[in-house]
Amino acid sequence: MSSPLSKPQIIAHIQKSLNYTVFDSKWIPCSAKFVCLGNFARGTGVIQIYEVQHGEAQLITEVEKPKPLKCGTFGASSLQQRHIATGDFDGNLHIWNLEAPDVPVYATKAHKEIVNSIDGVGGLGIGDGAPEIVTGSRDGTVKVWDPRQKDLPVANMEPVEGETRRDCWTVAFGHAFNDQDRCVCAGYDNGDVKLFDLRNMSLRWETNIKNGVCCVEFDRKDINMNKLVATSLEGKFHVFDMRTQHPTKGFASVSEKAHKSTVWQVRHLPQNRDIFMTAGGAGNLHLWKYEYPAQRSKKDSDGVDVGVAGSVNLLQNVTLSTQPIASLDWSPDKQGLCVCSGFDQSVRVLIVTKLNSA
Amino acid sequence: MSGDTLFPLQTTDVSAKVPVDHLDYDFIETCKDVKYLEKILRILRSGEEGIYPHLIKFCESHLEKLNPKSRALRKENPVATKASFSKDEWNQIVNDLMTWAEETKETERLLKEGSGFNDLVKGEIPPVRSSSSFVPLSEKSFPKQRINPSKRILPRDYQEWDKFDVEGECEKIDGNMLKNDPPAILNTGNPNIKREVDASLLSQQEKLLLANREKDKGNEAFRANDYEEAVAYYTRSLSILATVSAYNNRAQAEIILEHWHEAMRDCQQVLELEPRNKKALLRRATVHNHMGNFQMASEDLRMVLQEEPNNPAAIQLLSKIEKKVSDSLPEQQSKGKKLLIEEVEEDYYKEEQEEQRARPVQPSQPVGGERSSAAPVVRGDMGNAQKKPHSRGDGGPHTESSNSHHGHWRGKGGASDKYKVPEESKEKVANGSSKRASTASEQGDKSGSSKGTTGGGKAEEAVNLDAPCGALPPRLSRLKNEGNLLFKNGQFADALEKYSQAIQGYTDSGVDSPEDLCVLYSNRAACYLKDGNSQECIQDCTRALELQPFSLKPLLRRAMAYESLERYRKAYVDYKTVLQIDISVQAAHDSVNRITRLLIEQDGPEWRDNLPDIPIVPLSAQQHRREEPPSQEVLQARAEKATQEAERRAEIRFSAWKQEGNEFVKKGQYQEALGKYTECLKLKPKECAIYTNRALCYLKLERFPEAKQDCDTALELEPDNKKAFYRRALANKGLQDYLACSSDLQQVLQLDPNVQEAEKELEEVTVLLRQSLARSPDDKARKTVPITEVDDDEDRTDAPNTERSRAADNISVNLKASNAYEFGQSLNAARCSGNTAACAELLASTEPEMLPKYLSNQLDGNTVSFIMKALDSDLLEKNPNLVYRHLSHLHTTDRFSVVLLQLEKDERRIMTQLFEHLSAAESAEFTRDDVENLANKYV
Repeated sequence: MSSPLSKPQIIAHIQKSLNYTVFDSKWIPCSAKFVCLGNFARGTGVIQIYEVQHGEAQLITEVEKPKPLKCGTFGASSLQQRHIATGDFDGNLHIWNLEAPDVPVYATKAHKEIVNSIDGVGGLGIGDGAPEIVTGSRDGTVKVWDPRQKDLPVANMEPVEGETRRDCWTVAFGHAFNDQDRCVCAGYDNGDVKLFDLRNMSLRWETNIKNGVCCVEFDRKDINMNKLVATSLEGKFHVFDMRTQHPTKGFASVSEKAHKSTVWQVRHLPQNRDIFMTAGGAGNLHLWKYEYPAQRSKKDSDGVDVGVAGSVNLLQNVTLSTQPIASLDWSPDKQGLCVCSGFDQSVRVLIVTKLNSA
Repeated sequence: MSGDTLFPLQTTDVSAKVPVDHLDYDFIETCKDVKYLEKILRILRSGEEGIYPHLIKFCESHLEKLNPKSRALRKENPVATKASFSKDEWNQIVNDLMTWAEETKETERLLKEGSGFNDLVKGEIPPVRSSSSFVPLSEKSFPKQRINPSKRILPRDYQEWDKFDVEGECEKIDGNMLKNDPPAILNTGNPNIKREVDASLLSQQEKLLLANREKDKGNEAFRANDYEEAVAYYTRSLSILATVSAYNNRAQAEIILEHWHEAMRDCQQVLELEPRNKKALLRRATVHNHMGNFQMASEDLRMVLQEEPNNPAAIQLLSKIEKKVSDSLPEQQSKGKKLLIEEVEEDYYKEEQEEQRARPVQPSQPVGGERSSAAPVVRGDMGNAQKKPHSRGDGGPHTESSNSHHGHWRGKGGASDKYKVPEESKEKVANGSSKRASTASEQGDKSGSSKGTTGGGKAEEAVNLDAPCGALPPRLSRLKNEGNLLFKNGQFADALEKYSQAIQGYTDSGVDSPEDLCVLYSNRAACYLKDGNSQECIQDCTRALELQPFSLKPLLRRAMAYESLERYRKAYVDYKTVLQIDISVQAAHDSVNRITRLLIEQDGPEWRDNLPDIPIVPLSAQQHRREEPPSQEVLQARAEKATQEAERRAEIRFSAWKQEGNEFVKKGQYQEALGKYTECLKLKPKECAIYTNRALCYLKLERFPEAKQDCDTALELEPDNKKAFYRRALANKGLQDYLACSSDLQQVLQLDPNVQEAEKELEEVTVLLRQSLARSPDDKARKTVPITEVDDDEDRTDAPNTERSRAADNISVNLKASNAYEFGQSLNAARCSGNTAACAELLASTEPEMLPKYLSNQLDGNTVSFIMKALDSDLLEKNPNLVYRHLSHLHTTDRFSVVLLQLEKDERRIMTQLFEHLSAAESAEFTRDDVENLANKYV
């Protein structure tokens, strides 16, 4: 707590007001451009591409789509192609070539209802193995797609007959450190967090964090799973140490009350997996750092290994607006650069300084 | 102060109101309860009791003192803007972003340019997951019972209790207990992280990105103390692109893991790329320090201090090392001399292999290949030398086994039998050999004066019992000589008495001559041994050895005593030590073999693990042997021995020279190393390894013809020596004979497809080859002629062909080939003139089935791409079926996969185009899927 400038600062570099509700914003890898996905007031969807130039965000492309777009990811596309995969309000999964965004490269009716969340792996040099996209929907299913296979998901995680269908709010890939291993983590509106092992096609672990799970993310997708952050509706987030899974206790975790309202998003810094930013319902951003404990696992009374959670330190927090920040994305190329969009119909480019000294 | 005692009560009740009098400087100052303070702060901030900005600040600062991380202190900050920074800072931030935006644009442009091979990349991706696997949302974690936990369990019926199987239930419970404890799943370490990333198809831009990302992962793992994982990721990063920082970081991780050799290698790498890199120097110093090379460590540290005189880490380490050096100097010298005779070759070759696996050469460096081919050698044998101090414990057996390879040392002549067990010498006594004397009084040779006596014949000894023995007083010498005589006569008990008297007398007389006492003990031990008193024998031998460590006789006797007591392990160790002192002791060899068998029977294959440490014999104690008095009978043996001795000497000299040569290579003094190796070869002209080593020196000195010659010789000796091939390739490269170079490299790859260096080199050479071809097409055309001329008399068709084909393309090429030779000729002619139409026609007239046969092993990258081009441009339109058939046979050609590796980007593009066109073409004979399957074989 010495001089205020010695810690990371969050700078609002560019703010751009939009004429539609923006749901997701994503940097295009290897570029100074980002994509905004959203919903026009007339009920149609929109894709916009902006480029950061001379301290301004300039609109390059705008395409209107029949259905509002909820979420997108570049994770399953190669660096050269950089196709974005999107999920819309109607349950469709599309892959767009942003050079020619009029016709989708891949389209499938993935879910019966809105696709809440999407994530990709296997592209951009992140994670070995096949390119795959996972979608989570209000219809209660989580499906994994391979862009090389049309119409049929390669894995389908859904409740059996008679079980109540929970609204799946968030999905994330992880553990993709070689060709075979891969996990999907899904968070549901009732607070369930489920970890699916795609290698064994089984449910590997589940827990309940008592409140709806707004966002889950592994600190890195392409390593032996290390940490998982799950944020919740009532302002808490949980950091799980994923290295040691106790047969009954599961993974050790630390939780932190971060915001006074829902934590909408959590995103790890691509250049340092132990730093992450949470975006809150009151328009504020919190920058955190996870500190590992001295020993990451210990033996419990029965001599079984059990994980030890570390601690989280707040590095910085700022308030951007009064409306929730619904999406957040770090630039994979430039450390400290991030884009976030909120329900105040605006998108912001932020710079976070001094992340290295954090 | 009263507040302190009160508030525990208050704080337990969260809703309790804070009394107004607690909103006070005095109270806040004394309050130590963080929670309560937070509450006060909340009330103060809310303004319910009025607004007191100063009090709020005071409360905050006090709270911060108690708990700086308190959540109540978190304030909602506005987002920082230009105003929050000084002008400089702001400008820096903005400029930084601007330059980044510019750079990224450029990067993106490059990235887009490089695109177009996405189809190719696809081939390496794992297939689509087996379709639509269903994963239920709740599987194991929701067992049935848990759904209805409220349901009561009814008590059992009385009748049911009758059937109750107590044992069974108990077992069930026990079983459950066990089953309840499945082990935790640990995701630690680096179970299956691939150490290599295949980035060969990526553009430079992508490689850079990927390499950085892998390095970041390594850094993160490093920070989380997962050093193994960090090393894995650094290795991945390096496999994509070799960077100084990744090497440096890996070195640091290796140091923490105490993998000294790897760390050393990495530091070496960095210093090769960047000779004065401080971090690398510092790290290398640390490694040297741990490996015990204080000299080199301090050299490195001085380098660091030259660069940065105030580097605290360097200063600290240096002072530590200097202290260590002064402490351990004498000890150091007594260590490790024996190592000189070690065989280095094997070990460092292994290291070299490893090196090649771990470290790709930067293709951008023109000399990279050559350099790195030498570097591992250097490092390898340096590592070897350094390893020694650590492995001293088990060093013994290794040295032995390597020595014992030299079969000729184990001669059968009498000379090498001289240390045989006493029985034998007794037989010799009967034969009247003068040698028998030595058995009893062998150690007497130590003292110069005794030589004459002990060395003399039996008669002389018998008379001259008073001959002086070393520093022993006459009385004791006499006793000893008497003992010797008695021993020889087989009166062991009497001899024993004499020796005991001598020893007693020795201690009484207070003479200080440990050598003589040692001899006495040793002799008495011999008597004990004869009497079967092994226990006493061992005691005496041990005493003798305390006086004179590593004397041969006592060791041998103790070994025999141990053996007779069936303490084989100790016996084994002693015999081994004997063999270290003198390899030619036949008795020891036999016993070692016998005991080894016994121990293996006892302990199985791990018998060595149970052995006590075998002491390392210092060089000074080795191979010392007596001058035997020349006698008629021994002379022949002497001669034999002499030759063996000479051979052995030569062997030692050879090893020493080789070692020195390796040392010189290590230091980069190739000229000197060259001299040493040449000397070696004078001694042993059949040593393949020396040739390859010398070739390396020649390469370094850029004397390529000599290097090539050495490689040739090495290959004559060992026709599949990879190193020789590799070095000859480098020599050929130096001589600009790229063709020969590439064929050598292909040989290397054929012998061992894992040699990455060779692959890289091959790629490079292929480029060079092509360039040289492009530069001088005329030369090329002329060159082909003489080559073909030798082969066959049909050259007439060829020579005019090439010449004419340049003038008028189509006419000259023989378009109907009926055998491999004609086909090759025609194809070559067409290729030289770039006449794809001719090639297409040739292919059209050739049965696809015959294609692989015709091409046999003549296939190379140029040919493949030329054929592809021809198929694409000229044949595809007319006859797609034939193209498909050709393609489906072409890939069965010998060495096709190797050739594929050589293909350039452009050539790959041609291939992709061909397949694209082919799949677009319609035909009844094949479907699109067939084409795709086929394409997979090509890309």
